[in-house]
Amino acid sequence: MFGISDPSIWIVYLLSILCVIGSVIFGIITWNKTDEDENNTNKQEDPNKKIKE
Amino acid sequence: MENFWMYLIVVIYFLSIAFLGYLGYRKTNGTKDYLIGGGQMNPIIMSLSYGATFISASAIVGFGGVAATFGLGIQWLMFLNMFVGVVIAFIIFGRPTRKIGAKLKSNSFAQFLGSYYRSRRIRIFSAAIIFICMPMYAAAVLRGGVFCMQEVFGINFNLSLLIFTIIVASYVMAGGMKGVMYTDALQAVIMFICMGILVFGVYKKLGMGFSEANEALGSIADKVPEKLAKIGHQGWTSMPVFGSQQWCTLITSMIMGVGIGCLAQPQLVVRFMTVDSTQKLNRGVAIGCIFLIITVGIIYHVGAISNLFFYNTEGKIAGEMVDASDKIIPFFIGKIMPTWFVTIFMLCILSASMSTLSAQFHTMAAAAGNDIYGTLNRKDRNNSNKMTTVIRLAVLISILISFVICFVLGESNDSPIIAISTSLFMGICASAFLPSYFCALYWKKVTKRGAYASMWVGVISTILLLIFIHAKEATALGICNTLFGTDVLITDGLMKFIDPIMFAFPLSSITIVVVSLLTQPKNKIENVYPHA
Repeated sequence: MFGISDPSIWIVYLLSILCVIGSVIFGIITWNKTDEDENNTNKQEDPNKKIKE
Repeated sequence: MENFWMYLIVVIYFLSIAFLGYLGYRKTNGTKDYLIGGGQMNPIIMSLSYGATFISASAIVGFGGVAATFGLGIQWLMFLNMFVGVVIAFIIFGRPTRKIGAKLKSNSFAQFLGSYYRSRRIRIFSAAIIFICMPMYAAAVLRGGVFCMQEVFGINFNLSLLIFTIIVASYVMAGGMKGVMYTDALQAVIMFICMGILVFGVYKKLGMGFSEANEALGSIADKVPEKLAKIGHQGWTSMPVFGSQQWCTLITSMIMGVGIGCLAQPQLVVRFMTVDSTQKLNRGVAIGCIFLIITVGIIYHVGAISNLFFYNTEGKIAGEMVDASDKIIPFFIGKIMPTWFVTIFMLCILSASMSTLSAQFHTMAAAAGNDIYGTLNRKDRNNSNKMTTVIRLAVLISILISFVICFVLGESNDSPIIAISTSLFMGICASAFLPSYFCALYWKKVTKRGAYASMWVGVISTILLLIFIHAKEATALGICNTLFGTDVLITDGLMKFIDPIMFAFPLSSITIVVVSLLTQPKNKIENVYPHA
């Protein structure tokens, strides 16, 4: 594969490409995703903000 | 005319750096801004800064030369840089680090550990390790940048050292973390574009495609010098012989040492605290991976391919064209690329040095000013403006220490001290910090005594292994020879070629588990740590 006969070399190219593709997919899936505890913290903070306003 | 354009590009580059440093200064208001950019940095800037800090000039020129000498096996380092250094670092380490760091209001790595374990000793000890070991490592990076500056401007070593130090010092001192990260992002973009142009240029000159060039490179495996073949070299498109000396060096030092050691490097960890949500860290993963595969992946590949170019044009392999592996990449680029690109490439190397160096200066200053001074001086601790001034002074002191080391070692001094201290710093980051850092994130039974003992075991075992066991440093230091009349204590087998991290890290990991289990608090109050 890739003109390289040693599998322990071409596999690293394959893994690297998969790693980049995986990271892009991960980025797209989680682009607007926030953690539950972050949401909870924000929700808890909202009433205080209203009181201050 | 060509010189005019070259100088114009360089002047624009330095003006841009000055402007970004000024921007950082304008936007910095207080200790939190100065240390972690207020914790609200843009994810693109954060991940580019992370990547640029990760990749120093030695990763480009040094490891590029290693790829030219030893072949494509070094691409495993690129994969580990991406998978461990970005994917695992951001997702497994970064996310809880950001959350716990925000809860504990941590502004530095040492403060994170100290606050988590509720231990002033751990905070000061971690900061002291950073402040003692990092200046030498920073001096190594500084020297790389100075050599590059010499090449660009044709000025002597001392003047280059002075100019380079003043430039980096100005924007780190003034702009703090924001100045550092803004300039890092610009430097990362330069590195990215430069590597993109390089790979196109190389393949255009070779007149071959990717697979075709790899096949041709594989076909000249018989040209490997005999001395390299004896230690396991089987050609540039093959891994070294399993268990050979070269295999041990490649796997343990370069791949495991650098690939794993990056997880607990304070200057990288602190970047997770510069964003305010997990969402931003998630967005940074892809940017970090793409940056690394383009920069590191290309330079390692091009390094190995240089053998094919030199063999086709000169009838020699890359290692036979120059007297040191560090010179292969600059020499190859000078031969294969147009003059204008050589200037841009020098800026790329300069950018790589500056981005790593600025992060090192900032981390050392945070350790000395925020963690050591701030912990010992209770009066000033809560005065944000005064602490910022103290940390700025600490930046100046850190820079002066690295400057003096670099000045004393000079241009032609081939002292092994820098290489040893770089190994020491990498080894200590992995063996002293990584177990305590990982357990803080994921193991609820860890105790402060366990963490403290593990740090000591990590530091002592790394130092002992470097002095008495690992051939490269032990031979250079000569302490083992003076005491026992032999360069290393274990001369038989491959032990002397295995990186100290492979023993020190398991030792400190076992220590943290055993000591923590032995020192479990009876009332369980001590273990109520703020896990994410």
